[in-house]
Amino acid sequence: MPGDLRAAVEALRRLAEESATAVTVMEVCGTHTVSAFRSGLRSVLPKSMRLISGPGCPVCVTDQGEIEAALSLLRRGVVVVAYGDMFKVPSASGSLASMRGEGHDVRTATSAMDALRVAEENPGREVVFLGVGFETTAPATATLVREARRKGIANLSVLSFHKRTPPAVEALAGAADVQISAFLLPGHVSVITGHEPFRFLADRFGLPAVIAGFDPEQILLAMVEIARQIRAGAPELRSVYGTAVRPEGNRKALGLLDEVFSVRDARWRGIGLIPDSGYGLRGDYGDFDAERRFSLVIVPGTPPAGCRCGDVLTGRITPPQCPLFRTACTPLSPVGPCMVSSEGTCGAYFRFHREERT
Amino acid sequence: MTERVSLSHGSGGRQSQQIVAELLAPFTRRGIGPELEDAALLPGGYAMTVDGFTVSPRTFPGGDIGHLCVCGCVNDLAARGASPDFLGLGLVIEEGFSAEELRTYMESAARTCADLGTVLAAGDTKVVPVGGVDGVLITGCAFGRVQTPHPLSLGNLRPGDHIVVSTSIGRHGATIAASRFNLDVVGLESDCAPLWPAVRPLLALDGLRCMRDCTRGGLGTVLCEWAEGSGVHVALDEESIPLSPQVRSLCDVLGFDPLYMACEGCMAVAVDASQTDRLLALLRASPLCGEAAVIGQVTGGEPKGMVSMRTLIGGERLVDMPTGELLPRIC
Ligand code: SF4
Repeated sequence: MPGDLRAAVEALRRLAEESATAVTVMEVCGTHTVSAFRSGLRSVLPKSMRLISGPGCPVCVTDQGEIEAALSLLRRGVVVVAYGDMFKVPSASGSLASMRGEGHDVRTATSAMDALRVAEENPGREVVFLGVGFETTAPATATLVREARRKGIANLSVLSFHKRTPPAVEALAGAADVQISAFLLPGHVSVITGHEPFRFLADRFGLPAVIAGFDPEQILLAMVEIARQIRAGAPELRSVYGTAVRPEGNRKALGLLDEVFSVRDARWRGIGLIPDSGYGLRGDYGDFDAERRFSLVIVPGTPPAGCRCGDVLTGRITPPQCPLFRTACTPLSPVGPCMVSSEGTCGAYFRFHREERT
Repeated sequence: MTERVSLSHGSGGRQSQQIVAELLAPFTRRGIGPELEDAALLPGGYAMTVDGFTVSPRTFPGGDIGHLCVCGCVNDLAARGASPDFLGLGLVIEEGFSAEELRTYMESAARTCADLGTVLAAGDTKVVPVGGVDGVLITGCAFGRVQTPHPLSLGNLRPGDHIVVSTSIGRHGATIAASRFNLDVVGLESDCAPLWPAVRPLLALDGLRCMRDCTRGGLGTVLCEWAEGSGVHVALDEESIPLSPQVRSLCDVLGFDPLYMACEGCMAVAVDASQTDRLLALLRASPLCGEAAVIGQVTGGEPKGMVSMRTLIGGERLVDMPTGELLPRIC
């Protein structure tokens, strides 16, 4: 183990010993979740420090009704272009992957722009891009919409299920029944949003909030910073992400989001409606809004019977506390999105967690 | 029972196992099914394997589908200690496919065979209408003589054995992923290579337990199968697993775990610990295996049938068999 890492683990242990209280840190982003598991970081944390996962896996928080909307488009002969991670998420009437298996036209995108190419190559067909993800992927969707307008591409539209991180974090920070001592915030979201939208955590809720990148070194540094703030009784918003996060964020991306999207309420799978937590297309880009073009009515989905993804996504339970975990629900036959997504908490526990399996 | 075949059934992990078992059932029921190893050991000291190849792109840094097909078949035989004596090739070609391109692949397949002394013994071509196959599908069948005194098998692992890899992992999978996702990674090349010359000298070691070329599903999948097949716990040490900076950075970008990235020129080997040094020296004599390293050990402990890993930061985690296709993460 490299020396600086050993030093960080040591520092964490000392700080944890000094402040006797138990600390529960919520990592908001699914990439943090997976990195903490895959790197074995969770197993080197002091006993009194606990990492719980938050609502930051884009696939997991996409509401069942939203997936149904995409499936209904496929049944109408529309080409749906989606990020690969969405493919396997089960919904009441199937998944993008199972629909592809039945011969419907679903394409994998690694960037939103892939949808533009698909639309150009299939001028006779309607092409819909499934816009999911947070502030990190929303600008790419905005660019796609702008490009489609500039090039006059009429057969492309966007189903925007993009979500905004701060309102969800706020909902959790204020929830009476979840005891969170601090937040670990994703660096790549903050690169776009800047620091400001997360300052309320320290200011209003008195919670340490630390922005960090995804590698285990960064997470460890953030944990040290959190432990330090807690011992000092001085919560604040800090970044260990270095210069990539400018306090004011990425003005260009923010401008783009503003131009193309308007803020609206959004439904988070398993959590429910959170005010101002989503991005819908602005009226002047309405021509590219698939909801409008296909007169879609999105009915809030009911989670599969017994699935407790909502409680997992809000840190109320850990996956092994779900009765279906590892019994009825496994990566091979997932019941909820938290098991299927590569960033889902249930899947991460299943793949990487040892104690429960012996 | 599987209703429809999906891409995840072809990804080498848990679902592949499942569909293979279903498809073989009519044979196993009648007692005429194969053992589930890289190549079959036949009476009379022969070994045989069949492997089909479609790859997109068909030409990639470090090889093409012709070379890949020969390497894949040869390495399956090599993993069971058999020489690549004869090859059969079956081509399914889409109408309209460039004959020039086909000749290129046959040329590179022939070059690889000639280097190994492998003779093309049989072949078949079929042409199907447009859309019947995506370009070309090549299936290879290789046949050779087993040159080990006792059979190498994934059921042979014993506590104390060392796990060795012959080179750095994941280069083929990473190369293909890089071109599929339009990522330009300087210096990234497939490891696609025939391993028979490199592993042949190992066959003299009586402590050699098992070999496997880590293809689809990568090193992680192979080791999970070994742990399951031998009912033992395998403990890996992440720090000692050779990994090129190119594969590491590609995996970082796409959110992939290098342990599950396909290799086409990397052999995993289990060996009695008393013969590890000798094995490493023999392997490293091959230009393909300069990075050969001990990456873990079979233990008598728990959890049996599973693989765990001591991570770079000194933590512990499980290494599970992957399920489904490898798909890049969203953000
Ligand atoms: S284990 Fe499965 S059913 Fe339970 S919360 Fe997770 S995804 Fe839902």
